[in-house]
Amino acid sequence: MKYLLTGGGTGGHVYPALAVADELRRRDPEAKFLYVGVRGRLEESVVPARGYPLRFVHARPFPRSRSPFALVWFALHLSLGILVASVLLLHFRPHVIFGTGGFVSAPIMFACGVLRRLGLCRARLFVYSPDAQPGLLNQIAGRLADRIGVVFEQAGRWFDMKRVAIVGFPVRRELLELDRAAARVALQIPEDRFVVFAFGGSQGSRVINRAVIEALPHLQAQKDGLFVLHGTGRIQGDGYDAVADTAREAAALGLDGTDTWYRRQDYFDAIEMAYAAADVVICRGGISTLTEVGVCGLPAVIVPLSTAAEDHQTVNARTLERAGAAHVLFEEAGWSDADGAVTMGVRGERLASIVQELLQEGTARTAMGAAARKLQRRDSLELLIREIDSLVQGRRPTPLALEFPVADGGPPTDPNRLMRFVSHRVKEVGGVSKLCPKELAYLRYQADRHLASEAFYEIPLGRRNVGVKLVGLLGYEERLDLVLSLLGDRRPASAMQRWAGGDYRHPGILRRNAIDFPLAMIGLEAGGPRVRAAILESLAKDPYFEVRAAAARLLGQQAGPGDADVESALSAALEDPTDAVLVEVLAALGRIGSRPELLEGLRPFYVHRDWRCRQETVHALERLLERGVLQNGDVAGDVEQILSTSPSFEPVFPLKNSLDSLARRLRDEPEGA
Amino acid sequence: MLYYLGTYLQHSGEALSFLRLLDSISFRAIAGAITALLFTILFGDRIILGLYRRGSRDTKRSFDFAVAGSHTPKTYGGPLLVAAVLSSALLWCQLHETFVLMSLSAIVWFAGLGYLDDHLKIRHGTSDRGLSESAKLVLQCFFALVFAGIYVLEPLSPLPPGLATQLYVPFVKTPVLDLGWGYVPFIMFTLVAIANSVNIADGIDGLAVVPSAFAVAVYGAFAYVASHARIAEFLIFPFMPGAGEVAIICCIVFGACLGFLWFNSYPANVIMGDTGSMALGGLLGTVVVLVKQEFLFLIVGGVFVGEALSVVIQEKIGLRWLGRRFFRSAPIHHHFQAQGLADTKIVIRFWIVAGILALIGLATLKIR
Repeated sequence: MKYLLTGGGTGGHVYPALAVADELRRRDPEAKFLYVGVRGRLEESVVPARGYPLRFVHARPFPRSRSPFALVWFALHLSLGILVASVLLLHFRPHVIFGTGGFVSAPIMFACGVLRRLGLCRARLFVYSPDAQPGLLNQIAGRLADRIGVVFEQAGRWFDMKRVAIVGFPVRRELLELDRAAARVALQIPEDRFVVFAFGGSQGSRVINRAVIEALPHLQAQKDGLFVLHGTGRIQGDGYDAVADTAREAAALGLDGTDTWYRRQDYFDAIEMAYAAADVVICRGGISTLTEVGVCGLPAVIVPLSTAAEDHQTVNARTLERAGAAHVLFEEAGWSDADGAVTMGVRGERLASIVQELLQEGTARTAMGAAARKLQRRDSLELLIREIDSLVQGRRPTPLALEFPVADGGPPTDPNRLMRFVSHRVKEVGGVSKLCPKELAYLRYQADRHLASEAFYEIPLGRRNVGVKLVGLLGYEERLDLVLSLLGDRRPASAMQRWAGGDYRHPGILRRNAIDFPLAMIGLEAGGPRVRAAILESLAKDPYFEVRAAAARLLGQQAGPGDADVESALSAALEDPTDAVLVEVLAALGRIGSRPELLEGLRPFYVHRDWRCRQETVHALERLLERGVLQNGDVAGDVEQILSTSPSFEPVFPLKNSLDSLARRLRDEPEGA
Repeated sequence: MLYYLGTYLQHSGEALSFLRLLDSISFRAIAGAITALLFTILFGDRIILGLYRRGSRDTKRSFDFAVAGSHTPKTYGGPLLVAAVLSSALLWCQLHETFVLMSLSAIVWFAGLGYLDDHLKIRHGTSDRGLSESAKLVLQCFFALVFAGIYVLEPLSPLPPGLATQLYVPFVKTPVLDLGWGYVPFIMFTLVAIANSVNIADGIDGLAVVPSAFAVAVYGAFAYVASHARIAEFLIFPFMPGAGEVAIICCIVFGACLGFLWFNSYPANVIMGDTGSMALGGLLGTVVVLVKQEFLFLIVGGVFVGEALSVVIQEKIGLRWLGRRFFRSAPIHHHFQAQGLADTKIVIRFWIVAGILALIGLATLKIR
């Protein structure tokens, strides 16, 4: 038999393919293998070391930016890759193609689809799609595949269910035979301690490392019953060195990593020992880690990687959480003053409080462990081999029987649709406070994720713009400070952009939305003095007219009459050069003005060139008279001075109006009163 | 068809020799314009009511700055305009002439494209769900490619040999450049850009139809000059036999535009929709290329160019690159609406500008 394996980029794609290959080779030493990957990725180093021949094709990840150039570049690479892959397929003539997804496997899968249609290839295609929500490529490849292997039942809903088989995720044999007592002896951990094992995968994760260090002071009180085992990983680069950075921060707390209750290690040669010794695991949401943790029957605190493709780690983590096997701890967006960037992180106190909760509730912990164990297949490798065998023999799998066989991907990924979804959802349940806490946390995490993104979407930093709007829609007061930082960020745009009319790095539309959404929705009262100061500053200093107009509108709607600061700021804004701002300022002054001297400021607008400014002046006068700020005598002589010609009129269409009133009547009383 | 009937009859007897009139381009042009005008005025009401009954109406579309109540119920009346042009052209043009075939196929193709768009909008009940922008572009480019191929290929081209790929510029007597095959992308860009700019300008009652009428009138004059050996020689234009038919079509479209304005004037009982504006734009683009005065459109079609530019500045430079707006809203006529100008005032000001630009364009006949 000849097997072609493809898939790669990360360990989650490479290792299952290798595990299957090892098992196939063990059963049939005559079998031939070919691994197809992409140059410069993980497979380049791992695959030859295991003794499999490796060939390369061209492939790139699907561009998220939707820019036509990126799409064309992607298409060129993909077509080149498909050509090379076709040659490889025709030359090697495999019986079975085992693809584990990821962009690396795209050329082979598509080439296989094309060649089969031409009758040039007879290989059976097995697509292995371990994530709870299949990636974009796997969703497409699933249509070409003869068999699709999934881990979670719900993933089957994306595919033709006659061809789906639940196979689990293969884990190393060592993980299936753990000995807690022996592991504790080997690791020199006292038997009675509650062991928290925190690690961010083999590479390590900055977010988890920092969160663990930050959590330690909060856990100090429990240090007699607790043991924190911390795997930092060896990641270096991007201005971050996992080992050195973590050591420095721990040293600042007075912990050197070999304390009685805290041990740090950069790498575990036998990670199964750590699993065996642990009571709780803190980890990322990659499928391989989750399976390992689940097979060991451990409750997990999952911190999904917010930048993962299609946010698949969060979907995995939430699947586990729904099954009662884990807690999800979302990353949160934060503003760093040093470099003016929005970064994702987890606050130590949140991590500490979850750990304390788990420490105290033993029964809940056991239940979580049991749920985790139930969710994962221990015999995954056998299942996979069996499916491949049955594929070769041309048998069909037992069809899945799902109660609701509809793919439900949770909230949409497109930012605009996500926003519509959120506002609709909030309206549906009747306010943010009525959302269930888990769902609210998840939606707020979506806001955080968008805030941290620097990607383009309709405007520069457009995803962050969507994040800003989501903060408002979700009443996310914890992010108010971050939004204010964005609003007040005065780092300039590039010289070219400034020449063309740009101003700051966070563009005008985003700043306007910061006022129109979070600040207006959370409110001047609830926001406190910082919000107030920020709005007054925007009104006075922002170079973009829509921001000033939004600030004036917000003040008019939410400031109380007699607010002296606001009133003087608005009076000063009467000097504004833009008519659109003046209209809002005049309207606001009418609502909140309280000093008779205001009239002097309004008089120049009696003959303003824009009729809407004149109209707002008249409105303001009326309001001020109503509220008794001005007396009839003050304004009596002014009426003749107001220029009343205008370039506009309101057209009246009698037929349309009658029709409207008929329609309203039918709508309001459908049955007839 | 009347042309063919006339030529057939004038040879059949001395009494019918006055039908020689039908050989005259100016006669057929004026007759064609009047036919198209009368067609719309006489059949307009019935066609509009028929279209309304068939559900070809504007879906509810509210701009937040629009003055409340200014939204009149509107019928997509593009088919009226197109029917007037086609029927009059069939009566008065020499249908075997390549110039005519090319212009009429442009009208039909672009009107069909626009109709498809309108139809989808009506069916989905929202103006956001028409033909997607890229689908429109692909279909327009396809036509433009075929058109440009025929235009440039010597045996098929309606133009005299060697003329097709020459580039003429206003105010300059001689061609400035021979683009060779580079003329194909140039034609495609011109055609597609003009078609879309007319489509963009069609936003307020009467806004697109009058500047279009001015533009076709000017281009009709240019076509007439080019088709007349002596006038062409006198004004130093390349002589293009057969281009007179383009002049006739221009006059017919002029008449149809006036007839359409009869109903489309503010407050309108009928609007062009994409069917009308695409057809007009497609035809204008074709005529511009056929009489070899592409750059003249920057002057004559200044209103359309300005509208298109405002969209580019607002969307591409402003929003996509800088994250800010330059206009309150784009295209520019919406900006004026948002500034508080009444619709009628905006429309008539645009007409004035278009009229002045048309006169300047006409002046380039002599000022060279």
